[in-house]
Amino acid sequence: MRNRSVNACLLCGALLLAAIPALAHHSFGAEFDADKPLTITGVVTKIEWINPHSHFYLDVKDDKGNVANWRLDGYPPVVLSRTGWKREATLKPGDRITVFGWQARDGTNWAHGRQVTFQDGKKLYFGPPSGTGDGGAKPAVDSPQ
Amino acid sequence: MRAFYLILCSIVAANLIAAQAPRASDGKPDLTGVWQPASTIRGSWEEANAGDGLGGTGKNPSAPVALGSTNRPAGGAPYQPWAAKKVLEFYNHRAIDDPTARCLPPGIPRLTSFGLFPVQFVQTPKQVIILYEYMNLFRVIPMNAKHPDDADPNYLGDSVGHWEGDTLVVDVTSFNDKTWLLGTGTFHSDALHVTERFTRVDRDRMNYDVVMEDPKVFTKPWEYHSTMMLREGTRVREYVCAEDNEDPARYEKLQKDGVKFERP
Repeated sequence: MRNRSVNACLLCGALLLAAIPALAHHSFGAEFDADKPLTITGVVTKIEWINPHSHFYLDVKDDKGNVANWRLDGYPPVVLSRTGWKREATLKPGDRITVFGWQARDGTNWAHGRQVTFQDGKKLYFGPPSGTGDGGAKPAVDSPQ
Repeated sequence: MRAFYLILCSIVAANLIAAQAPRASDGKPDLTGVWQPASTIRGSWEEANAGDGLGGTGKNPSAPVALGSTNRPAGGAPYQPWAAKKVLEFYNHRAIDDPTARCLPPGIPRLTSFGLFPVQFVQTPKQVIILYEYMNLFRVIPMNAKHPDDADPNYLGDSVGHWEGDTLVVDVTSFNDKTWLLGTGTFHSDALHVTERFTRVDRDRMNYDVVMEDPKVFTKPWEYHSTMMLREGTRVREYVCAEDNEDPARYEKLQKDGVKFERP
């Protein structure tokens, strides 16, 4: 029972947390397209824990066997550490993972990475949802007359 | 039976004491600690931010993040008509002009509105120091002091503090006009005057109430009400934004290549 109420609290908390205003730092909306969600599976080739946006690279094979190297951007190292990631341990070159995110507006093999699913089924967030960096759902002002 | 009641009373008393805001040696509320802005959830950082992850519900991960009841209202910032048009232009350009994309400091109160990064308060009777992990910024706030006559305009302004009852009131002036106050495009002039009120209502929770006044751009003062939650065990760490900031070059390329990024 106690666990259930704790879980309920965490759920409420997660919903309340939706109140966090725009993502600190860059504009998601200028670089990435919230209307271009994508889910890709591939093999990690490189990881860079770096400010202001960490990123990793993924070799993704298409139906014809052609391999393309994708870049996925996400949280800075301090936020990754608080979101359950451990440097050198959580993600390593050679790991096969699936990533959900949104593609860059320039149409290149570059995307904003939101959620990573590991081979054992574990899921971690690598970056914020698309809305957080898009300038908000509504402007701060009502439409000027 | 008597012993049982004594134990029960002790437990209740201990909980009441634990729930109260601690006091500093001078009797004022002690704000010392590491806090998470824009949150209402008690517990450690990990407990409070577990589940669907930081920054959104995750139920619909592409949905824009909504604004909660304790945070700034969507819309309604009291800009003069010419200034509201400018805010809307920034919004329609999807925040490509955001000063923080060039690793410049966010404004006040924007600096204390990001839930992703902890903020540490260090309080002494003569000054309050606030350490921000985001951009690794800091503010030294002298108590019962006057603003200097020759303060240079700057990003975080010049802050002086005093106590009004159990509320720390921080008066901030001498801003430049290069920051955004809260949401996208919320610019201001160098006439900005911000009054922040920090009230530690209990052990875990601090109210953060702000009034922004700027007669050059607003029709009336703009208020922001939020809360910060104590995050014991969390450390404020290094965040060097300029380390690998590719965004300005990317934005330049986007515009040069004619990539359509504006809102319709």
